[in-house]
Amino acid sequence: MATTELHKPGVARPPRPTAKRKPVTFGRIALYVTLSAVSLLMVVPFVWMVLTSLKTPVEIASQDAGLLPEHWDFSNYTEALKAAPFATYARNSFIIAISHTVLNLVIASMAGYSLARIRFRGSEVIFYLFIAALMIPTYTKVLPEFLIVRFMPLAGGNDLFGQGGSGWLDTWWALIVPGAVTPFAVFLFRQFYLDLPVELEEAARLDGLGEFRIYARIMTPQVKPAIITVALLTFESSWNNFLWPLLVTRTDSLRVIQVGLSVFRTENGPQWHFLMAGTTLATLPMVVLFLIGQRYFVQGFATAGLK
Amino acid sequence: MELKRRSLLAAIGAGTAAAALSGCGTGSTAAGSADGPAEGEITLLTPIYENANGKTLLEKEILGGFRKKYPDVKVNVDYTTYAQLNEKITTGMAGGLLPDVLMMGVGWIPPFAAKKAIAPLPEKFATAHDYEKRVLEPSRYDGKLYALPVVLDTRIVVYRKDHFAEAGIKKTPANWAELRAVAKQLTKDGRIGFDPFSIDLRQCWETFLFANGGQLFSADGKKVLFTDNRGVEALQFFKDLIKDGSASYAKKTALGEPANVQTGKASMMMTSSALWEQVRLQNPELLKDDKLGAFVLANRKPAMLQGGTLVTQSASSKHPAAARALVQYLATPESILGAAKQRGSVPGLKDLNESGYVKENKFVDLSLQNMSAACSEGGTPAWMEIREKIKPTLEPAIVGDQSAKDAIAELGRLAEAAIGRM
Repeated sequence: MATTELHKPGVARPPRPTAKRKPVTFGRIALYVTLSAVSLLMVVPFVWMVLTSLKTPVEIASQDAGLLPEHWDFSNYTEALKAAPFATYARNSFIIAISHTVLNLVIASMAGYSLARIRFRGSEVIFYLFIAALMIPTYTKVLPEFLIVRFMPLAGGNDLFGQGGSGWLDTWWALIVPGAVTPFAVFLFRQFYLDLPVELEEAARLDGLGEFRIYARIMTPQVKPAIITVALLTFESSWNNFLWPLLVTRTDSLRVIQVGLSVFRTENGPQWHFLMAGTTLATLPMVVLFLIGQRYFVQGFATAGLK
Repeated sequence: MELKRRSLLAAIGAGTAAAALSGCGTGSTAAGSADGPAEGEITLLTPIYENANGKTLLEKEILGGFRKKYPDVKVNVDYTTYAQLNEKITTGMAGGLLPDVLMMGVGWIPPFAAKKAIAPLPEKFATAHDYEKRVLEPSRYDGKLYALPVVLDTRIVVYRKDHFAEAGIKKTPANWAELRAVAKQLTKDGRIGFDPFSIDLRQCWETFLFANGGQLFSADGKKVLFTDNRGVEALQFFKDLIKDGSASYAKKTALGEPANVQTGKASMMMTSSALWEQVRLQNPELLKDDKLGAFVLANRKPAMLQGGTLVTQSASSKHPAAARALVQYLATPESILGAAKQRGSVPGLKDLNESGYVKENKFVDLSLQNMSAACSEGGTPAWMEIREKIKPTLEPAIVGDQSAKDAIAELGRLAEAAIGRM
């Protein structure tokens, strides 16, 4: 009511309390100078990458070349894009990254919720198994995963025992399913769900909500930092994945952007001007995503694991 | 990165063994007969023909010619990088789905032939063209021909003629003592006399080992031979150069970075014949002013490491006649010359010795004139495991306090264990 009255026409709005400025101290100046220097250091490789992408091979190799290109060679971008079907690669990377992100958010949040909020026999053991799974190096899983994909029953001409065909190799299934859920995401979601007050859950139960609706409508909207963090990390790792797509695909129509960029890393020396142009383009989506979600992303890491 | 790669290779090795034991390896694919007509859809796995030019060369020019000759064969190309080639082949083997035609490096034939992953080729292929005598040696295993060479990559010493002239040095070093003395003389004002480290340490040490009269393995691939004095001296020579100040591991350049002789930071360096192509793109004035020369490393004998890319056929191909036809076609002079030009590599056919490309690229010309000094790495079925261990085992002797003798002994133990497991 009070709010309505305050917004009546003609009623003067009381002045907003101004934020009290913190005094400028030597420590504060030193902090800003340090942070600015560190930020600059972090940005330098990206700036260098963009500027290198605009130089000629002769200039890149030259000892006397400065940071800025002498001749801004924008044709590196068009030439790099001609070198391979990058539009197809980018589309494929995007489909895979989005699929991984959505699947990971849905499945890992459900798993995290169950482990955090539902009491069932063996939940502790399952949680510890997830923790153990966090410790398995990605590279040691490559071969078993490859064999699972290759011998997938009733797929790609395989019989019920996975023999006779090529299974999921060179298909979208091979690119999407194996990387769909990560133990880290399950762990992160569990930690966030644990933090939520039990009263929220009890109130929802008293209102007659079932378990799935409590998860979907009451609890999950409270863990936005976890959702953003998992989404960004999943998208990033999926977008940057190189080895797995290289191993399970053969045709250009299923190759991803990181595999596409490898055409510039030749055995006898990378074509730096093209590689930097291609990498700049491949980096842009990630930069944009991080700029959009950075606040939640930091919050997600800052509060993960706290109770 | 390397740790991850080694972990993966170890895992793949273990996984391949498990897959083979459980019977889900290559046995699941029935190989056809090579005597029938060349027809069907086949896959070519290649770590070369990279970048836009390479793809155009392979898919339009080379495979265009192949399609005309064999209209009933469809070729799908699977591009990979040399860094991931072993993973790609090994996972394919474990899954029983190897590409029909594979391109691989020198030294790789015995490991994959011993596992029966690749098929022997008819001996008449060896005489179809005029091969330099020892070019086909890395293509053989157990007396049989398994592959044909596409391009060779030799390791030679490139030097700055202008630095030599300034220092009054009239001839290139004929042995290590001279090399060390010249390197010392040329080291000044922040410039190093000799840079052996800007190529892969494994290949560099092997070149020195061969130049010192040493060998990696016995002819049957069952005995380790590099653990004698010749191998130790080869590694000790690097340490001596560093002690003199005329070589520096810290000044090694990364792949694709302008090499130290290009930038004038070194007067001599170990490099591959492909450097010519890099200089042509990055420092054309060095070639125009004739500032670069090259010679073959020598001590007890001249030696030039011969790497390269070979083409071979899967043992489990369902269209072996088509696969064999493609192997043969990729090794014709026309295909070879195109690939060599694109990579700045050495064509291994005498038919091409007088070609314009060979005469223009002085490093390639020098390599072809010295093919009698060429030596190859590998020679044992355990090579794929051993090759991954050479660099990390020798590096501590170069950057740290470990003695050359201890590092070589350690590498010998690792190699013997790997051979013992075969």
